[in-house]
Amino acid sequence: MIDAAPLVADLAIGAAELMPLQSGSELLPENLNVSFKALPAIIVIGMMLLFIVAGFMFQVADTDDMWVAGRSIGNIENGMAIGANWMSAATYLGVAATVATAGVYGLAYVIGWTTGYFILLIFMAAQMRRFGKYTAPDFVGDRFNSDTARALAALTTFLIGFVYALGQARGMGLVGLYILGDWSALTGGLLTAYQTMMVVFMVITVAYLSLSGMLGATKNMVLQYVILIVAFLLGLVATGWAGGFTTVLPQLQYGMMIDSLAAEFSAPFAGGSYYLWVATCFSLVFGTCGLPHVLVRFYTVKNERVARWSCTWGLFFISLLYLSAPAFAAIGTALYGDQIGAVYGDPGMTSAAGDVLVVLAAQLAGLPEWFVGFVAAGGIAAAVATTAGLFIAASSAISHDIYANIINEDATQRQQVLVGRLSIILIGLLTIIFALNPQQPIAALVGFAFSLAAIVLFPMFFLGLWWENTNRQGALSGMVTGIVVWFIPMINEGNFGLVNGGAGLGIEAISTWMPAIGSALIGTPIVFAVTIAVSLVTTEPPLETKQMVRQCHSPDPMPSDKTAADIVAEKNRDGNAPADD
Amino acid sequence: MPDNTNHDTEDGSRDIATDGGMSDVEREQQIDYMDVEINLLKPATPFMRDHLRIIWIGFGIWVLTTFAPITATRLAPDTMTQSMPLIGFPLHYFLLAIVGPGAALVLSVWYARKRDQIDEKYGIEQGVVEPETTDTVPDDAAATDGGVDE
Repeated sequence: MIDAAPLVADLAIGAAELMPLQSGSELLPENLNVSFKALPAIIVIGMMLLFIVAGFMFQVADTDDMWVAGRSIGNIENGMAIGANWMSAATYLGVAATVATAGVYGLAYVIGWTTGYFILLIFMAAQMRRFGKYTAPDFVGDRFNSDTARALAALTTFLIGFVYALGQARGMGLVGLYILGDWSALTGGLLTAYQTMMVVFMVITVAYLSLSGMLGATKNMVLQYVILIVAFLLGLVATGWAGGFTTVLPQLQYGMMIDSLAAEFSAPFAGGSYYLWVATCFSLVFGTCGLPHVLVRFYTVKNERVARWSCTWGLFFISLLYLSAPAFAAIGTALYGDQIGAVYGDPGMTSAAGDVLVVLAAQLAGLPEWFVGFVAAGGIAAAVATTAGLFIAASSAISHDIYANIINEDATQRQQVLVGRLSIILIGLLTIIFALNPQQPIAALVGFAFSLAAIVLFPMFFLGLWWENTNRQGALSGMVTGIVVWFIPMINEGNFGLVNGGAGLGIEAISTWMPAIGSALIGTPIVFAVTIAVSLVTTEPPLETKQMVRQCHSPDPMPSDKTAADIVAEKNRDGNAPADD
Repeated sequence: MPDNTNHDTEDGSRDIATDGGMSDVEREQQIDYMDVEINLLKPATPFMRDHLRIIWIGFGIWVLTTFAPITATRLAPDTMTQSMPLIGFPLHYFLLAIVGPGAALVLSVWYARKRDQIDEKYGIEQGVVEPETTDTVPDDAAATDGGVDE
């Protein structure tokens, strides 16, 4: 367990080998009390109803509202939406779990998933807002004048949404099971308890989302953020208090506990090597900057100043949780060690127990059932909010970027919104099918999506915005290289059972230097180099494209409903820059 | 990284600088961004120069707060794992779990404020030109831009 290979992925592969059949019960943490709990159930059902009502109230009928919430969202509201959109089950449940089981290596997740927002802020947030448009693939397609590039980006967006949502579905299923008990009888034993619950929650999520689009999702995300942060912080303070570990500021007080925990909790490289730490952190930071559902939040705001400040607010809201997660991990580790068994070594804490450590800790601290249910509800809110953001991004990739831009250029708004809704249902179904038997823990699944975003999309966004000579040929060869590079460690490690039934090729040099979860440390520079080199040896992009990039950096205010391309077109029509022919 | 600002001013805006007595702000007003090259390393206008300066300073500090603690722990594990007085954290743990994320947040506030100051210096005001129409009236909004672009 304590070697240089990616620890979380190892755990998962080990678990998958032991139980190749569909067996939801093995996914369950043995110490979590699965049963129907009246008060928590009321909390969760009430919460889900609230989401549906809010989605219904902000129903959308046109593409502006569907994809970018009418560009109407303000600073703090967007900051909270950024927070909820960002903090998934992987954050709510997974970060504390990873910090507990992988020790200092887990902190690479804490740093990677917070500090990436600063890079996003200084290099991309405001410029993206000025570019305008609707989706991240829009940027790629328009900036590089290529429908192939647009389609590649849309495909990547879809893949990211899908891989990422798998983790969320798993989180919803596990937590739902804890609160609502075993409903598998409903399906006549066809589905296991975990599967039934996962399907139930995914169906509700898809239903509200296909109704409400981005506008409803944004309004809901604010609600979801408040629920999840209150549940997490109160849960932490109450658990620390009830367990007798901390009083009012567990985020700092857990420092005193660290000496009393097993050495693995804080020993510098017990859970992963220095290289793995840096590689993981790098992947998560630049993955953050390449994730389509993150970038699209900057399209939803009024202007670029709001884009900047809402990014800052978003980081603040995110930090509230991330500064607390290690404290939860410390308290959870102590409780687990006292009441259940050794956290580290063999058998140690299972990945299933780890995945719900936050809920488990509250339960072990002897908190009342309704309160534990409330903490669990926060986890569901986090999973639903992120799934919403991902599905909006993925479905807009299909409906807007592939359908309306490539397949049917005359699509009406009604058709686009319809295709959008259908594609939300489609990706929902796909996620349900693949999440029936998940092979990786939440944080690992999400990690793969980050590598993909960091390798394939981040270089396109960054170079596209900051180097006007990046051209179509460069972008295309960069993206293709990126996709190939991303698959190398995935195949090598056999993730998703791709090769040798999940065993993978197992080439050691690759798993050491290019672990799937941190493959961007090598992959991103390669894609940068390929894109730049190919751009240099091929012709420069047309002047209009360059002007579009310049418009993204101009400090002059521009109307909120205009895109950079509109401004360039207007200017050229006026004859100030008769560069066309 | 942040060291290139002085030279670039001379390179990037040589033709403008010959106007002698003009201030940055006046020079900036004569610039049409459609005509200047966007280059991360060679800012072409006074505004871009000011902006890139804070971007690079921020980025430099960010690299340190994000990757220096883990690197120092790798190089000098004994020093870095000592307990801190009062709060009890091992030093490396504190730097990673609290200082790292906290620094990014502080840097973000710093950047957003600096950028606001630059906007102020150049008289840039956001959001005044845009009409306050699309708040929560989805159906009306549909008509306003349906089919206008592309």
